[in-house]
Amino acid sequence: MVKIEVLGTGCAKCKSLAKNVEKAVAEAEVEAEVVKVESLSEIMNRGVMMTPALFIDGEAVAVGRAPSVAEIKGMLLKR
Amino acid sequence: MANLALTKNELSCPQLNVYGSDPLNPEILFPPLAAGIEALMEYLSAHVLTCLIPAFFIAGAIAALLQREAVLKYFGKDAPKWLCYSVASTSGTILAVCSCTILPMFAGIHRRGAGIGPATAFLFAGPAINLLAVVLTARVLGLELGAARIAAAVSMSVIIGLVMAAIFDRGQKEAEETEACQIPAPEADGGEERPGYIPPVFIGVLVGVLLAATSGLPLLPKAALVSILALASALLLNSRFTRMEKSSFFGETWWLAKRIFPLLLVGTFITGVIGYFLPVDLIRTVFGESDFVACLVASVVGALLYMPTLLEVPIVGTMFGYSSGTMAPGPALALLLAGPSMSLPNMIVIWRIIGSKRASVYISLVVLLSTAMGMIYGAIA
Repeated sequence: MVKIEVLGTGCAKCKSLAKNVEKAVAEAEVEAEVVKVESLSEIMNRGVMMTPALFIDGEAVAVGRAPSVAEIKGMLLKR
Repeated sequence: MANLALTKNELSCPQLNVYGSDPLNPEILFPPLAAGIEALMEYLSAHVLTCLIPAFFIAGAIAALLQREAVLKYFGKDAPKWLCYSVASTSGTILAVCSCTILPMFAGIHRRGAGIGPATAFLFAGPAINLLAVVLTARVLGLELGAARIAAAVSMSVIIGLVMAAIFDRGQKEAEETEACQIPAPEADGGEERPGYIPPVFIGVLVGVLLAATSGLPLLPKAALVSILALASALLLNSRFTRMEKSSFFGETWWLAKRIFPLLLVGTFITGVIGYFLPVDLIRTVFGESDFVACLVASVVGALLYMPTLLEVPIVGTMFGYSSGTMAPGPALALLLAGPSMSLPNMIVIWRIIGSKRASVYISLVVLLSTAMGMIYGAIA
């Protein structure tokens, strides 16, 4: 079970990242729990200054950009 | 009876209806629509498109190909102050392509990094010197106002930051211990090495396309120069960037255009229609001179109104008639300064992040300094 967190305050980029994550999870056929972290103070507590950010199993894998479906899939499959 | 006869007559002969009181009367309905369409055509003209299209590609390249995260280290606790303020007041050009990135960064700089001064400098300068906005201002409202907008925004942001730091930063130790997280670099898919100067050079060539396309050269040499530079950028892109970078570059450019362009078109049309109903005399009385009252009213209006990216340009140019000479340069600049950086919704967010005392000082500083900059510009323009 992989834990995926999408950090973002609800801007358009963050939404497109969330969508990409969903697609990647479906395509990679991994069992994953996807959580959206939207509170600014929680985002700050992670030390993230640029949204959107993507965390997999508590580790930052992308900050300040929205990786593509293919890239996220690659990250998931590597685990 | 006579009335009825007239109605019949009108029905059979619609053009007679032109001066009636019917709400659908073309005389009343068409001019505002025509004003909206006219405003729209002005912004769809080759003159404007030649600057906007390259600008979108540049913004896309900045978002996709530059390691923007590198800038963040200048906002750390230990960064030298002068460097911190210089970066804070100028980095908006490359960091703030999308306004939604500003608030998290602001909160981050404020709470974990260099403190309230650089944070507010960044918060103000980011949207004000956004690349697309500056290019459009210079193109539509004139090079002079575009240059004044950059100069005033940068210097204002430093003043705001220093004042905020002087008032609120005294001996304050907000030692929050969380480390900034390690920022992973995007994975290279080719593993091929490339000198670090290539992405900036690529963006430089794109800027060249923009400058050539907007230059005053005659059509033929201009077209030749633009095509040579565009070809050079295409070759550079093809030979030196990975497939993933290329798709991310086109993706970012398209994403920006898709988000900003429709809003700009609809907004421009609406500003044209509203501008038609705003009495010219009223605007001239309020904004006709670059005096204190005009600049103050302009900055307050700008601070309260929410303007989607780029829309401040037709608001000033068409709605308030800067382009037709109704609005004086002073209030025009004041509105351009206070407008994009502040709006009612983002005031509320800022209020929550830094508290009421700091937020009210920040908001007053923005309004007063925009007024002052407007007056100074009005005096020299």
